[in-house]
Amino acid sequence: MSDLSAPVLAVADLHREFGGVRAVNGASFTVPPGRITGLIGPNGAGKSTALNIIAGALKASAGTVSFCGRDITGLPSYKVARRGIIRTFQLSSEFAALTVLENLLVAAPAQRGEALWQAALGKRYWRPQERATVERARQLLARFDMSAKEDEYAGNLSGGQKRLLELMRGLMANPVLLLLDEPMAGVNPSLARRIEQHLADLVGEGLTMLMIEHELAVVERLCDPVVVMAQGRVISQGTMAEVRSDQEVLDAYLIG
Amino acid sequence: MSVAWQFYISTVLIYLGVDVMACWGLNLQFGVAGLVNFAFIIFQAAGAYTAAVLTLGPAQPASQGGFQQYVGGAHWPFPLPILAAGLVGGLLAALVSGLTARRLRSDYEAMVMLVVSLIATSVATNQVRLVNGPNGLALVPKPLATLVNLSPIDYQWLFVGITAAICVCVYWLVHIVTSSPLGRTLRAVRDNEQAAAALGKNVTGLRMLAFILGGVIAGISGAVFVEFISAWSPGSWLYPETFVYFTAVIVGGSGNNLGVMVGALLVPVGFLEATRFLPPFGPPGFIDALQWIVVGALALIFLWFWPRGVIPERRRRFPLAAKNAAQHEVPVRTGE
Amino acid sequence: MNTIVPAIGFGIVTASILAVAGVGFTLQFGVTNVLNLAYGDIMTAAAFIAYLVTSAGVSVWLALVAGAAFGSVFSVLLNRCIYTPFVRRGTRLFGMIIVTIAVSLIVQNGLLAIFGASFFSLKMSRPAPVHIAGMVFTTVQLAIIAIAVVAMLLIHLLLRYTKLGKAMRATAADPDLARNCGIATDRVIDLAWAISGALCGLAGVILVMNVTAFTDTTGSQFLIPIVAVAVLGGIGQPYGAMLGALVIGLTSEVAAAIFNPEYKDVVAFVILVIVLLARPQGILSEVATRKEVAA
Repeated sequence: MSDLSAPVLAVADLHREFGGVRAVNGASFTVPPGRITGLIGPNGAGKSTALNIIAGALKASAGTVSFCGRDITGLPSYKVARRGIIRTFQLSSEFAALTVLENLLVAAPAQRGEALWQAALGKRYWRPQERATVERARQLLARFDMSAKEDEYAGNLSGGQKRLLELMRGLMANPVLLLLDEPMAGVNPSLARRIEQHLADLVGEGLTMLMIEHELAVVERLCDPVVVMAQGRVISQGTMAEVRSDQEVLDAYLIG
Repeated sequence: MSVAWQFYISTVLIYLGVDVMACWGLNLQFGVAGLVNFAFIIFQAAGAYTAAVLTLGPAQPASQGGFQQYVGGAHWPFPLPILAAGLVGGLLAALVSGLTARRLRSDYEAMVMLVVSLIATSVATNQVRLVNGPNGLALVPKPLATLVNLSPIDYQWLFVGITAAICVCVYWLVHIVTSSPLGRTLRAVRDNEQAAAALGKNVTGLRMLAFILGGVIAGISGAVFVEFISAWSPGSWLYPETFVYFTAVIVGGSGNNLGVMVGALLVPVGFLEATRFLPPFGPPGFIDALQWIVVGALALIFLWFWPRGVIPERRRRFPLAAKNAAQHEVPVRTGE
Repeated sequence: MNTIVPAIGFGIVTASILAVAGVGFTLQFGVTNVLNLAYGDIMTAAAFIAYLVTSAGVSVWLALVAGAAFGSVFSVLLNRCIYTPFVRRGTRLFGMIIVTIAVSLIVQNGLLAIFGASFFSLKMSRPAPVHIAGMVFTTVQLAIIAIAVVAMLLIHLLLRYTKLGKAMRATAADPDLARNCGIATDRVIDLAWAISGALCGLAGVILVMNVTAFTDTTGSQFLIPIVAVAVLGGIGQPYGAMLGALVIGLTSEVAAAIFNPEYKDVVAFVILVIVLLARPQGILSEVATRKEVAA
């Protein structure tokens, strides 16, 4: 519920090095519920690394990540995902040899028929739930205007369509927190506007998101609050207006 | 039909059954789950060995007229040795996949498995005490032979029936895996394991499951084979045999159980058997060498022109909306 | 104790052969990202070419050149006509392994079909024994060591001081960047295969110079130690391969002297397994992790 004040995600004093380079150097921030928190900063600021740490794809060398009040530091990515943090990838990572619809079905959580013993029980056991999942997937496809591509192999989609698939797949997984890694990167402007609209709708429905984004205009329209990182640390947090006027931020963007 | 023809056809059918099962197992590992198990033949060999010694009984010391030295043995009635073979295949697979916890790049891993199978063969051949060295085991009693008193040709057909029954069981296993949400998840892991993990799939566990199931099936197919030919030697389980199975899966259509059957029919059975009827020409071993050249060429040709195989993986389509679709609740997350 | 010193001598010879073979193998992987499992069989083929040359009465030195030349040409053609097209097509990594194994089967059985299943040996003048520091070498073996040393020196000079060498190192270190900067051109790749193919052919000939007889499977049997050498040194790292060759060459011969001579290959395998379990990127690590060989 968006009127709860407890943050969905709290990152405290994260550290991570790569062969001597301090990618993340003591970053701390929180993500409040029901809004899109923007994560911005110049290149090399450590945003992607921080996201990967939150998602469990990388291990932090120090620091903690807590989600809904529980410590999830160091959990592997699939366990993080099972708790409700779903991430999208910057490079499209569709399941190429599966159809679009199947891509969405895979994402559905807690499916009957995914364990061996459940599969052994046969179609009568898991079919009914699968039908419901198919319906939900189809509604999602309709919402994103991709119904026509339902049976298309995901590998055959255009770049923009793959982006939409990435987003839809994330939503199918019923996330509590959705991590978006530059969802509009490399996408033509009209599609970018459509994605932006979708994200705005999702916020309106109460979904919490953390988004890395470079286009500051988009951030201004969508994100509140905004977390600014530079050189591995968080140098400012607040609304876009507040952050905009922060001297440290201006310095970072000029230098970095 | 003359008895000689009956013998030939029933033998081919049994070989076909064994190869089809092996290919289904390999397909589960490779076509569905994307694991390149180049030591596949070793799992088959292990299952075959298990079945052989569990039928043959413990090794007789030379003083009592025994001439084979090997490890293990018991006198178990059919079908226990075959089940045990499956179990051994599965355990071996569990061991291997447990050891390779560190994920290696797929072609690197394939090469490692290949080396493993080379060394396993070498050790088995050189250490006489383990599995009777290069001679292997012989005189394995055939299942049910003492219970039913049949003429040789009738027994052959009985064995065909046994093989067919076991094939049906194996098919049931691979079918429930590949046609269920589990199969879909395995294919997703095959296509992009990072994305699958990001959606909550336990990639390591799933891979291990596919590997173990493939190992069980390999063991069973090996057991059927050894019960039929009553002998087991390291020389039958060399790494090119794995390659034949891979070619069969590729030619037939990896990821598709029916296609794999076609591949098993075409490659190990069809192609290698077809040359039996050619008149021998060239120096000894010439035809064998040619066979292998053609197998290698087949693999290349099919990988180039029809990488998806003769019968590619089926595109799954879902029927349009039926009533009662909303009966089941979609699980809601509470952030636990 | 007095079995160990001669064993060290054998070890040096084996290490020499492994070094030449291993550097070639690892270069092919480093520059083009292909684990060429047909490598051993190309070595055998080169050995057969040398056999044909010496049987015609020509000196063994010319046979060496012929073998290296064959290896070079064959490898370039192999990469151009088979490997690269498959890679360009988007064949996945494990698909490429099947391609290389298919080529291996074709080459090995082609040799079997042409030459038959018997054993062959190069016609050379009778080698005389030479005693050095308690180790016994034949003149042939000394020649092998000398050839290997010269080859390694040439490779070192190539990699360090020529433009081609730098291009190869750059491509091995970061293939995408190299491609984008126009470094990893087709020409560089062709030359890399030509050079590594020459090493392959050379290794094949010196391998059979060192044995009493060889057959169609001799080269492919040598593949396990070659892979072990390449992996130990860090796959893609030529200097690592040289180091790995020394380690594996010496330990396998010494272990064979102390324990059972039948288990020479097993030593290489055990080292390979230990390295893969403990440190898959090998001793000199960088390239392997960048190519994400080990997760």
